[in-house]
Amino acid sequence: METRRQFISKGGRLVAAGMAAAAAGPTVFTRGAGAADKTLKILQWSHFVPAYDKWFDPFAKEWGAKHGIEVTVDHVGFADVVPRATAEVAAQSGHDIHMFIGLGSAFEEHVIDLKDVVANLEKKYGKPVELAYRSTYNPFTKKQFAVSDMWVPDPGNYHKKIWTDIGQPNGPSTYEDLVKAAPEIKKKYPQMQIPIGIGLSQDIDSNMAVRNMLWCHGGSIQDKDGNLVLNSPETLNALEYAKRLYSVGMTQAVLSWNAASNNQAFNAQETSYILNSISAYRTAQDNNLPVLENYFFVPALKGPTGIMLASEHVMSGYVVWKFSKSQESAKEFLVALIDASRESMLASKLYNFPSFYGAAADPGTPMSRKYESGAAWISKQCNSDPFGSKPADKLALLAKALPWSTNLGYPGFANPAEGEIFDTYVITDMFAKAATGALPPKDALAEANTRAKEIFGKWRKKAMVPGGAKDR
Amino acid sequence: MDAAEAGPTATFLKPADTLSPRDRRLGKWLLAPALAYIFLLVALPFLLALFLSLTNSSAGSLDFSFVGLQNFRSVVTNPVFLRALRNTFVFTFVSQFLVIMLGNILARALLEQFRGKLLVRFLILMPWAAPISLATLGWLWIFDSTFSVINWLLKVAGWLGPGQWYYWLGDPALGMVAIITVHVWRLLPFSTVILLAGLTSIPAEVHEAADIDGAGPLAKTFQITIPMMLPILSVAVLFGTVFTFTDMNVVYLLTRGGPYNSTHVLASLAYQEGVLGGDVGRGASIAIFLLPLLVAMAIVMLRRSRRAEVA
Amino acid sequence: MRRGPLRKALATVGHRVTILGFTAFAIFPFYWMLITTFKQNSDLYVGASNTAHNPFIFNQPPTLLHLKTLFQNTLYLTWLFNTLWVGAIVVLITLVLAVPAAYSLARLTGRWGERLSIGIFLTYLVPSTLLFIPFSRLVALLGLQNHLGALVLIYPTFTVPFCTWLLMGFFKTLPKEVEESAMVDGCSRLGAIGRVVLPLAMPGLLTVVIFALTLTIQEFVYSLTFISSVERMTVSVGVPVALVRGDVYYWGSLMAACLITSAPLAIIYNLFLDRFIAGFTVGAIR
Repeated sequence: METRRQFISKGGRLVAAGMAAAAAGPTVFTRGAGAADKTLKILQWSHFVPAYDKWFDPFAKEWGAKHGIEVTVDHVGFADVVPRATAEVAAQSGHDIHMFIGLGSAFEEHVIDLKDVVANLEKKYGKPVELAYRSTYNPFTKKQFAVSDMWVPDPGNYHKKIWTDIGQPNGPSTYEDLVKAAPEIKKKYPQMQIPIGIGLSQDIDSNMAVRNMLWCHGGSIQDKDGNLVLNSPETLNALEYAKRLYSVGMTQAVLSWNAASNNQAFNAQETSYILNSISAYRTAQDNNLPVLENYFFVPALKGPTGIMLASEHVMSGYVVWKFSKSQESAKEFLVALIDASRESMLASKLYNFPSFYGAAADPGTPMSRKYESGAAWISKQCNSDPFGSKPADKLALLAKALPWSTNLGYPGFANPAEGEIFDTYVITDMFAKAATGALPPKDALAEANTRAKEIFGKWRKKAMVPGGAKDR
Repeated sequence: MDAAEAGPTATFLKPADTLSPRDRRLGKWLLAPALAYIFLLVALPFLLALFLSLTNSSAGSLDFSFVGLQNFRSVVTNPVFLRALRNTFVFTFVSQFLVIMLGNILARALLEQFRGKLLVRFLILMPWAAPISLATLGWLWIFDSTFSVINWLLKVAGWLGPGQWYYWLGDPALGMVAIITVHVWRLLPFSTVILLAGLTSIPAEVHEAADIDGAGPLAKTFQITIPMMLPILSVAVLFGTVFTFTDMNVVYLLTRGGPYNSTHVLASLAYQEGVLGGDVGRGASIAIFLLPLLVAMAIVMLRRSRRAEVA
Repeated sequence: MRRGPLRKALATVGHRVTILGFTAFAIFPFYWMLITTFKQNSDLYVGASNTAHNPFIFNQPPTLLHLKTLFQNTLYLTWLFNTLWVGAIVVLITLVLAVPAAYSLARLTGRWGERLSIGIFLTYLVPSTLLFIPFSRLVALLGLQNHLGALVLIYPTFTVPFCTWLLMGFFKTLPKEVEESAMVDGCSRLGAIGRVVLPLAMPGLLTVVIFALTLTIQEFVYSLTFISSVERMTVSVGVPVALVRGDVYYWGSLMAACLITSAPLAIIYNLFLDRFIAGFTVGAIR
């Protein structure tokens, strides 16, 4: 009897000791949890510009120190922003503030309403840019589920020498230009397999690109009232266009691209046009790549009827979880973050654009002129890139990006249904199948529409998405 | 004790009857910790997950309503799901077949002594030792449409002419080849080691007796080697099968299920729909489909291996 | 016969070629990783259609920049330590739970033990993409969120079932006379296990150790879910968080991390291999 009992208790003690050791061990390497009675935990993506995180983390901690709050900032890869949120909601504990870089609307039911924060910010700086408003507010449930501090424009990046050689030294300006240019580029540069580097894969860049094509041809997923209008002749037009473009300008390679692929292809001079934020450009600068002297930008392309639209590349959406115990501190921090919009833009090397233009205004400007002052400051940075562009005004067009930048969910709001469609790549698959000929465009559209109907139906049942009466 | 005195044959007859009550109690105590752990940490959470598949829970919240079998119904009719189901089987069986065949060849080659054997063994074990998320990133570059070093080699060797190119991850068929290659690459060391152990455990006398009887190499393989190695072979096969069947990492990191969802397997599809898309109920119902299949396979293999042991 | 020596020579050549082929297949990606670790980025980002540029050699002088980035700008060493720490404890827990259970199922239970063993094995088949949601709640309830203790608690869920089943099969190949003669000599059952059975089962135990260690080091879904502080991450999670930023991959440092993590493990496995194989031979002789 003794031996058995001893054996069991020994085993039990071993396990307990093991777990205690596990708990104790690596904490030797971490800061001990302070005795501060107020804490704030923020979860943020790993910014592509490491320098931004080097600014943000101390900024948050210093803000906390000034207010007697211990602030912790944790980072996560951009692809893991949503899984981490899912886990924290399932656990009903975790961080207080969670930063989404796209559609946080799917988590609307789990976050608090931030109406007062936005009202406060609007009083200080005026209204946010339209696309930020439509990405953080749900007019159907009347909930301000997130606050946006920044957005990122998505210009076209083109290779000046190649386009000059085919007679378009200023790059393409319409979607038809792409189709016309591709065969000519191939003729002059036969080793270039993908003259036009637009992705059709299951990743974020492709998601943006296909929506740009869709909108510029007059189609959209929903209308401004939330009715599902994907099934339309305009959408078919967009699909036919994608088919034409693919046959002359792309290969199967773009079906496997991840977010880094178009950057890498352009930087290796294997493609002449991509849709991307300035992250690829900064990489080329940092590594002094040969492509640098030919790296130039153009605004969104125009569709056949003149529509000129591109999605934002990243739209920050800070949410505060319902289970957070530091909701007031969280709200104060978000205001402080937007107060620091100028620093944020500079720390990110002009990647981040403020969602509240007024926050970038010169101090002391009257309310009525705040927006202009902010816009003027932003223009100044873009016209004379503090980070060494040659010529210095290479990024000037970004300051004029607002008119052609819009939000996911255009012409409506970024609601959970749009979010789920985005996250499960329904639209990119539709375009990929149509463009490659795997399915005739009509069938690809039908397939996507079925799935979209399911998704919209599900969210309408939860009363979080409007519309339904005018679905096509 | 009775058992020992009765001789070895008796131990295979009705083992339960020869156990003393003390032994049986000990048996229960020894088993208890593991059983308790498994019950609390696997069975219960599994039941919760099963439960969630019958709901419309979003993002794992416990505030939901029942939808019965609707998740299952909508999933089963979805062509993407059916493709993923098919892929799961194809990837698993093809890669397992290759791993066993190649593992056999390699194990035999490693039986001999030769210079540098230790180094070779170290190099061959590397794929198994590498963290899968990082190693797959390496393969991502190797298969990359712009930078693929495989394509470079093929081009230099003249296999790929001007304008020809392999889109490893962008073509549905080549994507499957790429995924299977990484699975085989990664599992080969483990299976080789197990097979090597099995081969060395066959006493030399058995082979010699067969040689004296005039058996050729093929007959020896099928009538002696394989049957004698069956218990070990089934460990290797079972483990490899389960591993590949439930794998999400390789597929997700290489192709994310693309192009257009054509290389998804059930595990990666469940992740995309359930975790990324936020429809946890749907994700759970996809993942649950894995189970009956795995259970059926496992039972078949376990029965087989037990029969072989007794023989 | 003259066929003899020629045949032998051909067999040897065939053998060497086979070995070479498999080795090349196994290390080909690692060779690429090694080169990339030291390559300048401008040497890396050149399209493969450019046959003049050989990606397998240094076209520009090698650089230590990526290694510097890995060791100075990321917490790689901390992650490595965390990973090994968790691995060691999980292996320990797995042994403590699985060895007695396996022995019991092999020797001390009857037919219901057989069925139970299949049931235990089947729990191994439940995928992590399904379980991580209920686990999140459990971990939060126990206050283990963002704690390596969460991993220590959860990882055995995929090591214990399989290892129990594996060891059970192993114990069954050992003849019962082994313990029985020890017990005749005056040992208790437990004493017999400790003195006689476990040493003989060394290959099985080694298999369990290697298997549990490997799976623990490679796991990343749970690690991602439960750990959010950078200094507590394991290698599988920390490396991508720090070195895959948005749409920029720091390839040189990523590949360095992979190599530095794999090589020592492969060395250790290599050292165990002979013992492991020898043990199988002993166990099989009845």
